[in-house]
Amino acid sequence: MQARPYHDGAQDKWGTAGSAPTAGVGGRAPADEPSARLWYHRLMASDRPVREARNRLESFNADRDRVLATVERRVVARLVKEAERGGDHSLEYVLNDVCVNELKRLGNGEKAARWRALAGKLGALSEDDKRAELTSLVRFFGEDIVGNFDPRVYRFATRVLTPGLGLLFSPLSSVRGGVGGLLRELDSRIQVEGPLDVLRGIAERGTLVVTPTHSSNMDSVVIGLALERAGLPPVTYGAGKNLFTNPFISYFMHNLGAYRVDRRLRFELYKDILKEYSTVLLESGYHSLFFPGGTRCRSNMVERSVKLGLLGTAVTAYSNNVRAGEPQRRIYIVPATINYRLVLEAETLIHDYLAETGQRRYIITDDEFSRLGRIVEFVRKIVAHEGAVVIRFGRPLDPFGNDVDDDGESHDRAGRRVDPRTYLTGADGEHGEDPQRDAEYTRLLGRRLADVYPRESVFHSTHLVTRVLYDAIATQAGTRDVYKLLRTQVREVPVPEVVRALGDLRRRIVDAPAVGRLHQRVVAAGDQATLDDALRALGTYHARPVIERQGDVVRVGDLELVYYYQNRISHLAPEPAAIRSAS
Amino acid sequence: MSVRGDTVGIVGAGAFGTGLAVALARSGRPVTVYTRTPSVANAIAATRRCPRLPDVDVPSSVKIIGDVKELAAAARYIVLAVASQDAPARLAELGGAIDGGHVVVHAIGALAGPDDERVSVIVERATPALRIGVLAGPALPRDLGAGQFASMVIASGFDEVVRETRRLLNLPPYLRVYGSRDVTGVELASALAGAYTVALGIADGIKVGAGPRAVAITRAVAEASRLAETAGGQIRTMSGLAGLGNVLVRAGDPDDPDYQLGLALAREERIEPARFTEGARAALAGVRLAARKGVRMPLLAGLAAVLSGKASVRDAARLAADNVAEEE
Repeated sequence: MQARPYHDGAQDKWGTAGSAPTAGVGGRAPADEPSARLWYHRLMASDRPVREARNRLESFNADRDRVLATVERRVVARLVKEAERGGDHSLEYVLNDVCVNELKRLGNGEKAARWRALAGKLGALSEDDKRAELTSLVRFFGEDIVGNFDPRVYRFATRVLTPGLGLLFSPLSSVRGGVGGLLRELDSRIQVEGPLDVLRGIAERGTLVVTPTHSSNMDSVVIGLALERAGLPPVTYGAGKNLFTNPFISYFMHNLGAYRVDRRLRFELYKDILKEYSTVLLESGYHSLFFPGGTRCRSNMVERSVKLGLLGTAVTAYSNNVRAGEPQRRIYIVPATINYRLVLEAETLIHDYLAETGQRRYIITDDEFSRLGRIVEFVRKIVAHEGAVVIRFGRPLDPFGNDVDDDGESHDRAGRRVDPRTYLTGADGEHGEDPQRDAEYTRLLGRRLADVYPRESVFHSTHLVTRVLYDAIATQAGTRDVYKLLRTQVREVPVPEVVRALGDLRRRIVDAPAVGRLHQRVVAAGDQATLDDALRALGTYHARPVIERQGDVVRVGDLELVYYYQNRISHLAPEPAAIRSAS
Repeated sequence: MSVRGDTVGIVGAGAFGTGLAVALARSGRPVTVYTRTPSVANAIAATRRCPRLPDVDVPSSVKIIGDVKELAAAARYIVLAVASQDAPARLAELGGAIDGGHVVVHAIGALAGPDDERVSVIVERATPALRIGVLAGPALPRDLGAGQFASMVIASGFDEVVRETRRLLNLPPYLRVYGSRDVTGVELASALAGAYTVALGIADGIKVGAGPRAVAITRAVAEASRLAETAGGQIRTMSGLAGLGNVLVRAGDPDDPDYQLGLALAREERIEPARFTEGARAALAGVRLAARKGVRMPLLAGLAAVLSGKASVRDAARLAADNVAEEE
């Protein structure tokens, strides 16, 4: 495919932007990298040809039937083979599991007729009939997952709509600057950091599995934009089917490469089909996006553990490639953190988290994301702020959790180069299948991701100021327990105390790189300016002011949200002094 | 299966490594032992006796080598059987020789390194191997060497490692290997079993009697189980082969270095740290770990106090008994 320039016809405007280029692709040139300046200029040069990794999504339709047929063939073959073991593995059990779950979900309505009929005749079916039913179900759910992907619409969406989304993300004034101005505005709002040149390189050598932290339904859109801005290939990803109900969002989802995951379908067969679909996509070289945390993080804490389901398809896909004699078709895991100054759905998420029962609803359908007006408001008020979202990519890993170097080669934990194929070698020297082994590798990978996330997280003024306020209130009230604190009336902290504690917190974070890093704006600003910035952000967006300044004190208006935002840094232990006086 | 796939490679020609090699060789399993000490290698080659296990004949089929790369080439399945203080260095060396296809299980009943880590954590960090396991349990080197009954437990997150260990090491009726997935629990149980063996050596040395001895054993299991659970292991593991089973076999064995150390302490001999056994080191590491995790371990704390010379044997015994009685 022909490489296309990074932005159309507006190159000259970049060079004349005046002040040092802000954010944008690759973010600010990090000062700690010696080659940063050179690298930054290479990136920003007007004639920079974007090395574009092959965008396989564009030709997905020609491939669609092959992918679906492969999924169907493998799932049916596996289940038929397992059925030989009888009992819970019999085809009758598998089919009945589908019927029972669907009848439970759909009740007695018209929609359930199909499942009532199947359940009714199940006992009388021959093995061949059962196999035929299974095949048709696998096809049915496979089609539902893939959805209607129209490459023409896809091209329209990526070429026209993505800048269109940029429009959404920009204040109105910038539109007057034309496409170039728009892109510049967009770039300053969505800041992309990390070893982007390395990622661009390995995207041409293997399949990327982008694995970000997950705090908002905006994440998939934001990461899509970030990849585009960074010259990285687009990704396919599984999005909750509930997100497809809003026609506008559905349009985006589908045509930016999303497939549908219906979380209401709880039977095993559906999970099998979904995992196989993801496996086949990865084997075929479709770069993918998984949120290893599963659903959006309700608490806003950086993910400390990950769900292994879809993530496990990375090692399965690589294992299949090796067995197919193509070990050079590598799979790379790319950790990323998405760091919002403010989160669109913060109120719903934290309320859900704190809900007394602790019984979390798995799918929240009625939240801020389902209301288009709220999204526009979010974009206007929140994203119209320089560096309001920072996407920070980490160094790539292989499916076994090993580090990957700039050339895409794996290195063990001690830094020695290692052939990833060897992890699949059995005592007989063959690369046999072993799902339990692969699940254990995925657990190790998940543990590495959980270590990477805090290190690569970026703290905005909102996180720092809420942490300082939470610490101060906890000290005054003598407890850090959020439920107890919600019942107290302690809500005020003197401004000088906040400013002083902010300075201390910033120093602690700078001294502990494993905890995360400060947003560039925070680094540049003083403690007072950081407080003012957080007051502006938290005072205006949410339904009521989260915090506000009243004379010489900062007053907390919504402690739930203070708790929510400070949770982003909750992995940094409270200072001993704070513990002493709070215990 | 290839010869390489059927071969057991052992790092370390100490008592356990040699005992295991002899037991395996006797039943026809190909065994290669790597030792970096030429004098040991020469002694075994010349006399077919290992200095650390002098009463046992080493069959000529046991291959002794001095090159770790040769070991990696000869065997895919490797048992690390060295003293805990040597583990980090031996693993760094092994890491340069093996690849991701090797299975590495360790038989070290102690925590290791400056941070008192579980040895499997060090294996993962220092070598390319990820298929890692821990071997533990009441298999005395002398019994292994003499063809007496012995049992071990293999714990790994990988079923493949458990399967391979059973395929290669399970030699019924003499040596039986049981499987577990609780790596953390088995490693802690195995380390603490050594510590409690020292404690029981003291108890037997000062002749506390059968009643207090039984109390000490059951309370040891209780406090160690608390620590294991807090550290992410399973609470039952300490009551199994790697923990209780281990203690019952070793406490009373005249050849056991930990038990001997306990008897010496009971005689109020002053033991310099240089003479500490694995069990003594495990006791000190266990106390540090318990402090970090906020777990109370009165028995272990008493033992550590004796080892570091902060309490006399009788004071420590009385204090531990009081604490136990108060708490339980």
